[in-house]
Amino acid sequence: MRAMSDAGLAIAQTRFALRGFLRHSSAFVFTVVFPVILLLLFNAIFKGTTKFDGLNAAEATYYTASIVSYEIMLVSFGSLLVRVTTAREQGLLKRFRGTPMPSWVYLFSEIGRTVVVVCSTVALLVAVGTLFYHVQLSGHLLIGLVVYLVLGVTCFSALALALASFCATADSASAIGPLSATILAFLSGVFIPTSIMPTWLIDLGKAFPLEHMARGLQMAFLVPGSTGLTGVNLGVLVAWGVLGLVVAVRTFRWESRVGL
Amino acid sequence: MTAVVEVEQLRKSYGAVERLHGISFEVHAGEILGFLGVNGAGKTTTIEILEGYRSRDGGRVSVLGTDPAKATREWRNRIGLVLQECELDPVYTVHETVTMFARYFRRPTDIPATIGAVGLTEKADDRVGRLSGGQKRRLDVALGLVGDPEVLFLDEPTTGLDPVARREMWTMIEGLRRAGKTIFLTTHYMDEAEHLADRIIILRAGEIAAQGTAEKLSEALGYHTEVTFETRPGDEVRELHGALGVDVRIDGPLVSFRTQQVQADLKALLDWAHARGVELTNLQAVRPTLDDVFVQLAGDGGVDASHE
Repeated sequence: MRAMSDAGLAIAQTRFALRGFLRHSSAFVFTVVFPVILLLLFNAIFKGTTKFDGLNAAEATYYTASIVSYEIMLVSFGSLLVRVTTAREQGLLKRFRGTPMPSWVYLFSEIGRTVVVVCSTVALLVAVGTLFYHVQLSGHLLIGLVVYLVLGVTCFSALALALASFCATADSASAIGPLSATILAFLSGVFIPTSIMPTWLIDLGKAFPLEHMARGLQMAFLVPGSTGLTGVNLGVLVAWGVLGLVVAVRTFRWESRVGL
Repeated sequence: MTAVVEVEQLRKSYGAVERLHGISFEVHAGEILGFLGVNGAGKTTTIEILEGYRSRDGGRVSVLGTDPAKATREWRNRIGLVLQECELDPVYTVHETVTMFARYFRRPTDIPATIGAVGLTEKADDRVGRLSGGQKRRLDVALGLVGDPEVLFLDEPTTGLDPVARREMWTMIEGLRRAGKTIFLTTHYMDEAEHLADRIIILRAGEIAAQGTAEKLSEALGYHTEVTFETRPGDEVRELHGALGVDVRIDGPLVSFRTQQVQADLKALLDWAHARGVELTNLQAVRPTLDDVFVQLAGDGGVDASHE
């Protein structure tokens, strides 16, 4: 077998991670099938409601945007947090560290895997939205979607890597990751439109990045001719992303904090 | 002989507690060094310093001429690690796992040959999750070998394995010995060290209690054979001390003494018994195993063995 270049190694490690993802049926169901079910469910539940946050648009389109943002956070934040802490607890990170593989190759593969899973699921959600829920694909929408995808995955991945340092066990991470994604989804007008939420709850949600990504995507999906890209939305995502990155770089651990 | 690993006055503390009190040793090219100690003796601390995972507080350490605290990628290409507690993703096959790890190294070995070397050829296409504990552990060894390392660190390779799996692991490590691999092996089983290691270091509470070949270690400890027998309690037995010139322990009907001249003392014992008309039952002469040596050296209430 011939030695590979680092770039080749990074691609091979990403493909390896993806192959594992497809074999872990629970991970596949949770990050690909579950969001699609949510999209169908919310549309069934809120059928007939036409006004959301003053945006006069079909509820169906609204939920396509919402579930896309939820998917970005669920996978980039929730799954990544669980994967990294599990690998750390299993001693896999320590084992990687003992090989000549550069650390960045591992991180690249995890984030690369996240990007592939998020993008394919988002494509699936948008396809469902276009086919059944009146989503109109336009240049503006695609620009907004791509920018929020890139920024969202970056921001939430950085936050996951940062939070991994503070999760003592994979068990606690499995609770914190998906739970915080779901709670934030409620605070951010992802599952329930903000028009029927109390103001203080909306304000609370605005402190977190999901609200801004969801709001931006809802604009892009609902308002013709809008990319949904606003300074505030982008600024909040970047700020949280930088915070996550700084904390992750300073605190990331390759070994569990057990024993001596 | 070339020293692959050189350690001088290695010290390590955790907080206020010093765990390694300045130990020194070498591992030579082509040898298997058995690094033996009970849990907490400092084995894992030592091996993890050698592997570049942990910092040290004092002393000099060199592995393949490099200080592991300044591990470079090139150096990592030359060493192989088998860590103590480590899981692998169960969804990949043995072949996929070894292939992926082979990619991390500049000069990987032949993958089917490596899988064969650890005896997993028939399991190559099975998923890791379906392997037994012993097979998983041998896969760990394959991952340590796949970079064709100049020195292999094996941290407790058989802990938690059943006796059959242990034997299989031993057979595999013997194969590595024949292939001329330099191996640093930690274990808390004396029989394992005796079976596999060319040289043994016994670590006790962060200090080297003894080192040498298995034979040297038992000689150094004084290889006393223990003679035991049973007889009717009575005054006669008490004369034995005088007749044999050794300390005789009497515990009810059970009598025992330790000797380094088994043949002479047994003859004296039998002559005495014949002359006095005493009947000896369950007569046994037992040499201590190296396990006993280890328990004495490494255990808490052990003798204070001399340092070499």
